[in-house]
Amino acid sequence: MSRIVLEGVTKRYGSTVALDDASLTIESGSFTSIFGPPSSGKSVLLRLLLGLETVDAGRIFIDGMDVTNALPKERNLSMVFQNLALFPHLTARENIAFPLVRRGIDSGTIDDRLDQVAGILSISHILHKKPAALSGGERQRVAIGRALVRDASAYLMDEPIAALDARLRDVMRVELKRLQSEFGHTFIYVTHDNEEAMSVADRMAILREGRIEQIDVPDAIYAKPATAYVASLVGSPRINLLNAEYTAGGVVSPLGKLAMVTGWREKLKSAKALRLGIRPEAIQVTPNDTGSDIVASVSDVERLGAFSIITSKTKDTEITAIAAGDARISVGDSVGLSINPSDCHLFDGSSGRRVV
Amino acid sequence: MNGLIIRTVAIAIVSCIALLPITWMISMAFKPAAEWTTAAGEISLIPKNPTLSNFVYVFTGNAPDQVVSLDRTVWGPLFASLLTSVIGTLIAVVCGTAAAYAVSREKINESIGLSLLQLRIFPPLAVMIPVMIMWAFLRMIDTWWGLALIYGIVTLPFSFWLMKAYFDELPREIEEAAIVEGCTPFMAFRQITLPIVASAVASTALFIFILNWSDYIIALLLTRKDWTTIPVYMNALATAASGQLYGAKAALGLIAAIPPVVLGISIQRFLVRGLTFGALKQ
Repeated sequence: MSRIVLEGVTKRYGSTVALDDASLTIESGSFTSIFGPPSSGKSVLLRLLLGLETVDAGRIFIDGMDVTNALPKERNLSMVFQNLALFPHLTARENIAFPLVRRGIDSGTIDDRLDQVAGILSISHILHKKPAALSGGERQRVAIGRALVRDASAYLMDEPIAALDARLRDVMRVELKRLQSEFGHTFIYVTHDNEEAMSVADRMAILREGRIEQIDVPDAIYAKPATAYVASLVGSPRINLLNAEYTAGGVVSPLGKLAMVTGWREKLKSAKALRLGIRPEAIQVTPNDTGSDIVASVSDVERLGAFSIITSKTKDTEITAIAAGDARISVGDSVGLSINPSDCHLFDGSSGRRVV
Repeated sequence: MNGLIIRTVAIAIVSCIALLPITWMISMAFKPAAEWTTAAGEISLIPKNPTLSNFVYVFTGNAPDQVVSLDRTVWGPLFASLLTSVIGTLIAVVCGTAAAYAVSREKINESIGLSLLQLRIFPPLAVMIPVMIMWAFLRMIDTWWGLALIYGIVTLPFSFWLMKAYFDELPREIEEAAIVEGCTPFMAFRQITLPIVASAVASTALFIFILNWSDYIIALLLTRKDWTTIPVYMNALATAASGQLYGAKAALGLIAAIPPVVLGISIQRFLVRGLTFGALKQ
């Protein structure tokens, strides 16, 4: 149970800045996901928290204690490594018990804890095996077991389920979330999968080239992305981002002129070049183009059952939209697109920051 | 099925060709002096009058079928070979493992590996003559420590490069997992890394022991009489009366093959499988 605070943490490797002035507060008992594309500084952030690397600037607090320069073992954090890092010469049982044995806990207590953890992860039947004899999913669970077996201030996970197959990943995702809320643990979860980041976490931090772009609850990040970059990372299929311009009459983009929404005028006063973001799910697709503002020709249809992803082109602008799974739309069709201006996101053209 | 027969036959033929010289040596070791050469009229692969006299000869210096007794028996060279090879191997494996670990983990000074190779870049004689001069100056010629030390030094590059390859293959996260759980870096090395690479250390040690055990040129240059090793002793196995002592040499060859084979068999269970198998995802 503890609160973790990063204050202006910076880490450089030679001339590359891996983490740039990152500040972040992780509340006790929360499930925070750190999300970003590969090499955006996610893993570095965990390594700095663990004390496996030292910060170049900034401070780290756990439970109000300054641990910036503390040794790894003084931080009482637990970790599931991206490549699992099981001890290949030890059995699953010895792997999981390692943190407790290291701390000189008596064997009776160790057995109790082990049984409990093995029960939760349903791996009791494989404890006698060595990692080499386990399947990918089983190894995963052993690695998670080794992290969960002791009471840590927080549990850090670096893409712990990335290597599993899709079905197992979904199962583990739900299981991790359940474990976390059941015991009220603090989880810090690094991933490059936006669905995973959204679905497990109750808070989400988005990293871009070592900088934190936005920290908020997943819903808010989806609904009000702070930058065009965040908008493009979160949500699938990807948001449509178009160049637009503010003129006295409204916002003009390749899709035509958007009607003004109340409150826009004030915020757009100083803006000129804009980026217009429209989520595919915010676009209404009508199979025939009669009476629509925007007419587009369909270039691709991906049928996914529950819905279909429609890629269409209008005046050289590609627009992705979502239609019902049973919509009668095929490649080459002319469709009508309608957009509700209040569902649109507007970002500053140069800084990428959200305007409305 | 046909393929299998052809393959079996092919393997049998190749094995016979490969093993013929060794078979010949074994047979020679048990032949009396009269059967060593064509003097007896013909050469046969199986000794007509099998005898242990060659072994008796090298171990005691006298044998019934030999007129001249040997100045030196094999005991001294055998002991010298064992002592210097084992100590040289220990030096190379301990220093090589430690150096390889440091370079592999800290990613500093990787050029140290290349500089170690210097000893191996030049022709052996170009390296060993200067060493001989230095050793003479240091009064280390014909001493067991002088020979063991140079064995350790010249095989160090092998142990360094072999062990570095193993350490590079071992992800550092395995040690970091131990460090996060409260180990110091040294404890992580002792309790986690070392047990994992034990098999690699064993196979490296075997490889280096064989190198040292079969060295001829270094021992030839750096020993005189007290600490000559088996290969040097073997070359000297000839008398004015009987010429080359083929039987005695064969017996000695057989004796010399024993330590590497015994060592190899005893660590055989370590010599298989990849190191990190199972530690990672995949």
